[in-house]
Amino acid sequence: MRIGVFVCHCGSNIAATVDCPAVAEQAKKLQDVVFTTDTMYTCSEPGQNEIIEAIKEHKLDGVVVASCSPRMHEATFRRALERAGLNRYMLEMANIREHVSWIGKNKERNTVKAFELVSIAVAKLRNDQPLYANKFDVTKRVLVIGGGVAGIQAALDCADAGYQVVMVEREQSIGGKMAKIDKTFPTVDCSSCILGPKMVDVSQHENITLYAMSEVEKIEGYVGNFDVQVRKKATYVNWDNCTGCGACMEKCPSKKNVDKFNEGISTCTSINIPFPQAIPKKAAINPEGCLMLQKGKCGVCAKICPTKCIDFEQKDEIVTEKVGAVIAATGYDMFDHSVYKQYGAGQYPDVITSLQYERLMNASGPTGGHIKRPSDGKEPKKVVFVQCVGSRDPAVGRPYCSGFCCMYTAKQAILTKDHIPDSDSYVFYMDIRSPGKGYDEFTRRAQEQYGVQYLRGRVSMIYPKGDRYIVRGSDTLAGTQVEVEADLVVLAVGAESAKNAPALAEKMRISYDSYGFFMEAHPKLKPVETNTAGVYLAGSCLGPRDIPTSVGQGSAAAAKVMTLFSKDKLESDPQVSRVNTSRCVGCMKCAATCPFGAIKEVTDRAGNVKAEVIETVCQGCGICTVTCPQGAIQLQHFTDNQILAEVNALCQAQVDF
Amino acid sequence: MQALAELKEQIRQALPDLDVVIGWQQGFDALHTRPLFIRSEEDIDKLVVNEFCVVNPASYLRELRGGKKVGLVLKGCDSRSVIELLQEDLLKEEDLTIFGFGCNGILNHTKLQARFGELGFIQSIENDGANVTVVVGDNKETVPFTELCADKCLTCVYPNTLQCSHFVGEESTKKPESEKNKALEEFEKLSLEERFAFWQDQMRRCIRCYACRNACPMCVCKDHCIANSREPKWLSEEVDVQNNFMFQLIHVMHLTGRCVECGECERACPMDIPIMLLRRKMAGVIRDVFAYNAGTNAEDTPPLMCFKVEEPTIEERH
Repeated sequence: MRIGVFVCHCGSNIAATVDCPAVAEQAKKLQDVVFTTDTMYTCSEPGQNEIIEAIKEHKLDGVVVASCSPRMHEATFRRALERAGLNRYMLEMANIREHVSWIGKNKERNTVKAFELVSIAVAKLRNDQPLYANKFDVTKRVLVIGGGVAGIQAALDCADAGYQVVMVEREQSIGGKMAKIDKTFPTVDCSSCILGPKMVDVSQHENITLYAMSEVEKIEGYVGNFDVQVRKKATYVNWDNCTGCGACMEKCPSKKNVDKFNEGISTCTSINIPFPQAIPKKAAINPEGCLMLQKGKCGVCAKICPTKCIDFEQKDEIVTEKVGAVIAATGYDMFDHSVYKQYGAGQYPDVITSLQYERLMNASGPTGGHIKRPSDGKEPKKVVFVQCVGSRDPAVGRPYCSGFCCMYTAKQAILTKDHIPDSDSYVFYMDIRSPGKGYDEFTRRAQEQYGVQYLRGRVSMIYPKGDRYIVRGSDTLAGTQVEVEADLVVLAVGAESAKNAPALAEKMRISYDSYGFFMEAHPKLKPVETNTAGVYLAGSCLGPRDIPTSVGQGSAAAAKVMTLFSKDKLESDPQVSRVNTSRCVGCMKCAATCPFGAIKEVTDRAGNVKAEVIETVCQGCGICTVTCPQGAIQLQHFTDNQILAEVNALCQAQVDF
Repeated sequence: MQALAELKEQIRQALPDLDVVIGWQQGFDALHTRPLFIRSEEDIDKLVVNEFCVVNPASYLRELRGGKKVGLVLKGCDSRSVIELLQEDLLKEEDLTIFGFGCNGILNHTKLQARFGELGFIQSIENDGANVTVVVGDNKETVPFTELCADKCLTCVYPNTLQCSHFVGEESTKKPESEKNKALEEFEKLSLEERFAFWQDQMRRCIRCYACRNACPMCVCKDHCIANSREPKWLSEEVDVQNNFMFQLIHVMHLTGRCVECGECERACPMDIPIMLLRRKMAGVIRDVFAYNAGTNAEDTPPLMCFKVEEPTIEERH
C-alpha cells in the first residue's frame, strides 16, 4: 500500500503550537508512507489540488490528512480523493487542531501528540477497504412538529413548493405563543392580525394535513423514509362534523376550568374553543372538568350540539404517516417563576408573568384589552417590570440570556402608557440587549418618549403593603437601594425548553443540550440541520428566538427539505454494520440493543437463526458490534482490526522531536 | 433424597416426549457423580441426586440447541443459568422440561481434600444436613456442613429450582449463612495495588486450558470464542500473565449481567484459581448499578441487552 500524509498548518491555528514540517518529516518513517508534506491550508483549492496531484504522481492508495475535525472537512477531502480516482473511504483524518493545537500550548508535546495521531491514522488506513454506497428512494412528504410561527412558515413554504406536509400540534389550535401575544416589537403590529392569515392558509392549503391535539408517538426509519406514528388525543368531539359554532360553550354548566390559553388568569368552560381565531376552530372537552366524563351526569353539550358531534366514548387514536423529512419547531415554555419565592410569584395576585400581562392587554383576552389588576379589577397606575426572571441566573439553573425579554418588556411598558396615559412604568433590568433591526431605537423610545423609568439592578424582594406592593431592588448606576410602590408587578420570565423536548429529541435521535434545547449540526454553518440526516430544526426549540428569527429559520428548514426532495434517489452511507453469518449464533443481542431497530432476524438455508442489518436504517453507531460476543457483527470502516491497529500504533514507543 | 423415586416416576412419564433428560449418575467413587443422559427407560434407574451432584446440567444445553426436546434435573442455582439462556433467546421455553427440587447444598471436593487428604482414602461419608461425618482409616470425624460445602451454598438465596415444570419433594428452607461471600469481602478490603498483585500472582498459574470457559453454561460463542479468534486477533497464544489476565477479564466482561454464579468455572479449574471472585465482584456491580440479579426471572431483560434512555437506578441528570 502507498500512503500520502498531508499535515495542515491551518494558518497559524495549528502551526503556532505544532511543528507541522517536523510531523510531516517524521511521518515518512511510518510503514507504507511514501509521500508526506505540510501545507498552509489543505482544505483550500491549492491544498486539495496538491492532494490530487500527489495521488497521481506517487500512485497513492490512501491519504491521511492531519488537520481539523473530520466533522468540518471529511466530506471535502473525500470529494478530493474521488476527483483523483480513489475510493472516498481510503481517507483518514488526524484531528490535530481540536485535539491538539487548540487544547495545549506546549509546542514540543503538541508535536509529539500530533505525530501520534498521524501514526494512528496511518495504521487505520493500512486496514481500510474501499466502500461503496447504495441508492434508495425518497418519500417526498415532510412532517412538521409544532404549529407555532416557525412551524407554520416551514409548512407553508414546503406546501407551496408542492410537497405534502403533515403538521402535528400538541395544543388544540396552532399559533403557538405568538397567537397569545397582543402586539409585536418593534413595529407594534397586531400579532394575531399578521399570524391569523397564515394560520388560515395552513388550514386551507390542499397540501397540508393538520393534526391538532396530537403528539408524535414514534419515529422510525431514516432520511427519505421515516415512519411516523401520531397520537391523536381524544377531544370527545367529532371534529369532522364540528362547525365551531360555540353553542356547547355557552351552555356548559362547568365554567371553572383553568383557561390555559389565557395563561390561567381567567376560567373557561369544560368544552371550549381556546380563542376566536383558533385553527382548527373546533371544540374540545377537558376531561378533568367535564361533569359527564367525571361523574356520568350532564351531557348538556351533546343535547345542544346542532351537528350531534359530541362523543363521550372517544379514545386516543394512532395514525401512521410516511414522510421523507422532519422539521421540529416545538418552541419553548415559560420559566416557572414560582421558584423565586422572594418575588411572591403565584402567591400575590398582582405579581404576574409577562405572558399573562400580554393576555390582559389583548383585545381578545379575558378583559377585552383593558388592563385590570387580577385582585380587584382596578386600573393600575404604577406598573413595575422585573427583567431576567429565570434568565442569566445560575442560581436557578438558567445562566443563559433568553434574548427577547428586553424587547417585550419595552413593548409592554410602551403599551401600558398607551392604554393608561396617566400611568408610570418602571423597569428593573440588568443590561438592555436589543441587537435586532430597529430594536435599540425601540427601547430608547420607551425611555425617551414614553418616560419609562429604567433602573439597572436586580430586584431582591417584593412584598405587599396594603393593597399595593413594594418592589425593593438596587440601582447600581446610582449606587443606592430603591423601593418602588407598585399597583401591578410584571415578571419578565425567561424561556426554557419545552417540557417534553428531551423525550422528543430521543424519538428523533437528535442531540440536545443540558437545558433541553435541540442542538444544531454546526452553530455557524448548519444552523437548522441536525446530525441526524433528514431532521431539521426551526425556532425556539433550538434556544430562545424572537419572531423574525423563527420565521427565517422556518423558511431555512423548508429550503433544506426542498434541497433534499430535489433528488429522486439518495445515497446510503456504507459505514454501517455487517454480519458475518458463519460466526453469528443468532442470539439477537445486537437487535435487542440496537437503538435504531436496524437489525432483523433471518433464517439461513440450514434453518439457523441469523442477524441481518438493514443497511439504510443502520446509523453506524456500533453498539451492536460491542454487544456481539462472537464479534460476528462488524462496523464497516470501524472494524475490530482497524481499531486494534490504531491501539497498537498508539502503544508504540514514543518518538522524540 | 427421599423423593428420588417420585422424581424417577416423573421422568419416566415425561420421557416419551423428550429426546433426552440430563441428570446425574454415580461416578467412579462414592464422592463423585457424573452427568447422566437419559434416553431410554433403563437409564432412569441410574439417576442419583445427592450432595455430590455438583455439575451444572445446563452446561450441555448449548450443544442441544435447535428443536431438541430436553429434560433437565436442576438445582436452584443451575436453574438460573437456564432462565438466563431463556432471557437471551438462546433457548425456547417449549423445548424444555425442568424437574426441580429443594437443594440443601453441595459439597466441595477441594475443601474435603484439604481437610482429609486424598479423596481415595475416604471410606465413608454421611451427611445429616447440619454435619458431615467422614471416616478415613480409623478416624471418624464430624464436621459442620458449612465448612465443607461449596462457597456458593453459603450465600445461596435460591435453594429451590426456579421456574420448573415438575417439582419433587419438599421445598428447601435453607437460609444463606451470610449475605456476602467472605472471600470477596476480604478481597475488597485490599488496596488496588494489592488486588492487582494478587491477580498477577494467580494468573501466573493459569495454563489457559479454557476449562473455565468450556464448563460455563453462559459461554455461547462456541467455535468463535475471541480467545482463539485469528480475525481479529485479540490475544496472543503465549501463555503469560498478561495474556492470561486479558483472557480472564474478557471472560468476565462477556458474563457481565449474565453470570448466575453457578461456580462451574472455578470448579472446573485444574489450577484452583479463585476466578469466581472476579465474577462475584462483577455481579455485585450489576446489582448495585442496575438492581438486577441475573437469571431469576425469564420475563426480565438483562440490563446490558437493552437500550434505555434513562436507567431508573442511575441518576444522570439533576
